[in-house]
Amino acid sequence: MSAYTLVYILFAPFLGAIALIFVSNRQPLLVRGIAAGSAFISLLAAFYMFYAYDSAKGGFQFVQRYEWSKELGIALYLGVDGIGTPLVLASAILLFAGIFISWHIKDRTKEFYIFLLILAAATIGVFMSLDLFFLYFFYEMSVIPMYLLLGVWGSHTKQYLEMTDPDGLKKRDSVGFILNFASNSKEYAAMKLTLFLSAGAVFALMGILLIYKFSGLNTFDILVLREKTHFSGPMANIIWILVFFGFASIAPIWPLHSWSPVGHAAAPAATSMLHAGVLMKLGHYSIIRVAFEILPETTRELMPIAAVLCIFSIIYGGFVAFYAKDTKYVIGYSSSSHMGYVFLGMAALDYISLSGAVIYMFAHAMATGMLFAMAGWVYDQTHTRDIPSLGGLSNRMPFISACFIVACMASVGMPGTVNFIAELMIIVGAWNKYPFQVVIAVLGIVLTMAYLFRMMRGLFYGPMDQKYSHAHDAVSAVDRLPFLIMIAVSVGFGIFPMHLYSVVRAGVDPLVAKITYVVPIASEDSERSPQLSAVGQQFAGWESLPSGLTADQLNAKGLGIPE
Amino acid sequence: MTFSLSMSFADLLLLLPEILLTFWLCVVLIVDFAFPRLSKEQLAYLSVVGLVATLGCLAWLDLNRISGALFGDMFVLDRMALFFKMFIIGATILVILASIQYVNRFAFFRGEYYFLVVMSALGMMFMASANDLLSVFVTLEFSTFGFYILVAYLRDDLASNEAGLKFFILGVFAAGLLAYGISLVYGETGKLVFSQIAPAPATPGLMIGFLLIFAALGFKVGAVPFHSWIPDTYQGSPTPVTAFLSIAPKGAAFAILIRIFFVALATFKPMWVFLLVGVSISSMTYANIVAIAQRNIKRLLAYSGIAQIGNVLIGLAAGTKMGTDAILFYLLAYLFANIGAFAVVIAVSHAIGSDEIEDYSGLNRRSPFLAFAMLLFLLSLAGVPPLAGFIGKLYIFLAAIKEGLYTLIAVGLINVIISMYYYLVVVKKMYINEPIDPSPLSISGPMKAVVYAGLVGTLLIGIYPQPFIDWAVSATMMFSSLAGPSATVVPLIPPFGG
Repeated sequence: MSAYTLVYILFAPFLGAIALIFVSNRQPLLVRGIAAGSAFISLLAAFYMFYAYDSAKGGFQFVQRYEWSKELGIALYLGVDGIGTPLVLASAILLFAGIFISWHIKDRTKEFYIFLLILAAATIGVFMSLDLFFLYFFYEMSVIPMYLLLGVWGSHTKQYLEMTDPDGLKKRDSVGFILNFASNSKEYAAMKLTLFLSAGAVFALMGILLIYKFSGLNTFDILVLREKTHFSGPMANIIWILVFFGFASIAPIWPLHSWSPVGHAAAPAATSMLHAGVLMKLGHYSIIRVAFEILPETTRELMPIAAVLCIFSIIYGGFVAFYAKDTKYVIGYSSSSHMGYVFLGMAALDYISLSGAVIYMFAHAMATGMLFAMAGWVYDQTHTRDIPSLGGLSNRMPFISACFIVACMASVGMPGTVNFIAELMIIVGAWNKYPFQVVIAVLGIVLTMAYLFRMMRGLFYGPMDQKYSHAHDAVSAVDRLPFLIMIAVSVGFGIFPMHLYSVVRAGVDPLVAKITYVVPIASEDSERSPQLSAVGQQFAGWESLPSGLTADQLNAKGLGIPE
Repeated sequence: MTFSLSMSFADLLLLLPEILLTFWLCVVLIVDFAFPRLSKEQLAYLSVVGLVATLGCLAWLDLNRISGALFGDMFVLDRMALFFKMFIIGATILVILASIQYVNRFAFFRGEYYFLVVMSALGMMFMASANDLLSVFVTLEFSTFGFYILVAYLRDDLASNEAGLKFFILGVFAAGLLAYGISLVYGETGKLVFSQIAPAPATPGLMIGFLLIFAALGFKVGAVPFHSWIPDTYQGSPTPVTAFLSIAPKGAAFAILIRIFFVALATFKPMWVFLLVGVSISSMTYANIVAIAQRNIKRLLAYSGIAQIGNVLIGLAAGTKMGTDAILFYLLAYLFANIGAFAVVIAVSHAIGSDEIEDYSGLNRRSPFLAFAMLLFLLSLAGVPPLAGFIGKLYIFLAAIKEGLYTLIAVGLINVIISMYYYLVVVKKMYINEPIDPSPLSISGPMKAVVYAGLVGTLLIGIYPQPFIDWAVSATMMFSSLAGPSATVVPLIPPFGG
């Protein structure tokens, strides 16, 4: 089992999708059964992988390598380190939960599950690819099912331009508005999302092709590239910018975010969950995998860009979420605001903050997955997402409203949920380097509280409109299962975070050590070296060595300070 | 120049596929005349039998590594020629299977249709082997001759007549350019065989001559600015002929282009790279932008075809062995996606009698199979993993980036996004829009076979491309001496560094 764990996780959903092609739509139970079964295999294997990952050993584990094309230097090279492990687990959990969330989809059930399984499997594929080609392959593959999931099973978004503050003044997302062309249909949202993400992917691909060319190694193997290449100078900056902004468009970083809330709002619940939960993390993950691993020195120089942009992400997304009246817009903007925390954690390039960023990705997947699932439930029952017209639903759906409170708490980062640990780590880790951003981040938490509690009050408390008196709670086990899973994971890791923490540290430590201690080779660029090595010394002077690793151990791993 | 016509049987072996097909062509014609009551469907299967036999013969030649040259090097049979011959015959088989239902629309000459299709295929097989300028001219005109008739086969349809006329006039014009170009080159060098032209100095006459030849072949492949006949001809022709026209002659013409640029013009590479870069950029950009506005699926595929040719030209512009590998691989990927897409168009137009994209609304509800197949074909054309088109595009880009053609790749990548938009518009109609008439569509057996062949090819090449890459690589072995990327000379530290 153990050697092929990743293969099971990755190919179970793919095989499920293939099996579904041969099933008739007239047997919906069989269709759902196959989808749930394949997702369950994937989930079991993911849990096994997570607990079997040896964080003392570190590095990439469960490695599988299949030669794919010698001429082009491509191999299907699977493996997870401490960064990929929690994200694979999160994807598997959300896929499993998402299949139950969409249990009641009647229209073209088979096609829905096929595309959902492909979407999730492709996402999982990115998180375990150690080959740049396959990283891009799965990345692009995950975008196309989104188009159909949104376009066919999505819902129209009506209130996009109608956001009002408490005084009744009109507000709108100005960046989103410029790029929106005032269209609110789901077709539009789907097309915008697909083109935006594909365009980002293409930019990143240009960067990947440049890495391929200038490495001269005729390989896409990330491990070989990170050991044997040393990029510096203007070309490295160009590659880094292409890779960073290409992948950051899916993350989404502030000026490139406008596709995301529209897309979230139009998507069916399960798709929003996967989308906000794990698809957006493809961006961060790919930046870590490509830019951090292969271009460490440039990352050190240019990562402050992310530190600046994350301020806008946090504040801007938070304020728009506050004014939005549509439940899914609130959650969508809150997601893009929370992704700013991840960028902050990444930008600080510190052991604690980067670990916090990775854990935050995992935590946010659970919290936002729950929120979207519940917004989807409310929408299915009431056929509206307009917060002002809703209210008092806690009488009708006590289970959902109780879960919603937990999800809000998790999203805000209450102690006891894994989000708290993650937020704390980001804030503590980034404090040394970016105190201003940390202050903003704390304000962002307050903002999160404001808009989530406002939404909670708007949906579940206060007077209820009589036309919603027929709304149902989630009663059956099938309906309650996904919520309970996500809550259990969120709270469980909040109370017992040690294994998660040590796994993530095992992935983050060598990476940060490499970025921090790689000093430019002096002979290469004599003009810039004094300045650069000064930067290097500044970093090297930091007393934030990973707890378990001494400098000798780092040297032994080939990550230490070069002579 | 004297030809020695004393041929041995060993020489005839090189011509065996062509001889076989010529023989079978006569059989098809005679059967059609001798048994007028025979259903035309039988005639189609008869042609397919001959084509399959030819394909088998080509495969046998390929497996036994038989190669050689005939008629004073006018006709060359190497592995690249064999690759393109198999490509052409494969396309012809799929086109004939896709035609069976459509042929009932023709008022007259249903039997001759198959004869003409196979005859054009024969001409294109010779094109794949053409190794000097005279045989280029003769084979090119031979293969186009059949198409002149085929394009205008819907005799009572004005659009088909217009298509035929446009194709004919521009085709003849291109033939004129070709003849003039050949005469200039011959006047400057006194040689016709590509390899003998190669050492000639770069005189203005030679350059103009080759420019004219390139223009003529540009008409053939439909690269901007020689594309003007494509949309109308594609729209007006009978759809199976459009499918045939959109793939087989492109392959044959690229066989000639590769030989001209890589053999005859190998020493002038710095000069023609700019030409190819310009043509490639204009083909991709123009066609992709204009395709957005199309309302007819055949016109859309026509413009998409022009854009695909622009992509193939990137490989030619790379000017390396890897570039030719990428061209061969790309054309193979394009073959399945393109014929598959046209097969769906034929099936849909047979059922609903329309080629308007609007009428594809709700195809997913009416025929989930056709809609899913079309989805995969269009995504393959757009270059989305895990489909063949993606690997093809990536291969081409890899070949080009090794030569440092950054602008070309940037434009190519941006065009991927533009093209994705109009392919997705068709997907939107099929999947998202509701059908006006929700009755299910029926699809005939042979048509289903063609769609399945397209699907299998598209998925197989996309998921497991290694055997096809190997095939392309070994088919172009003779270009391995070309100045190309070698891992040994590229420095580990990027030259731009510091």
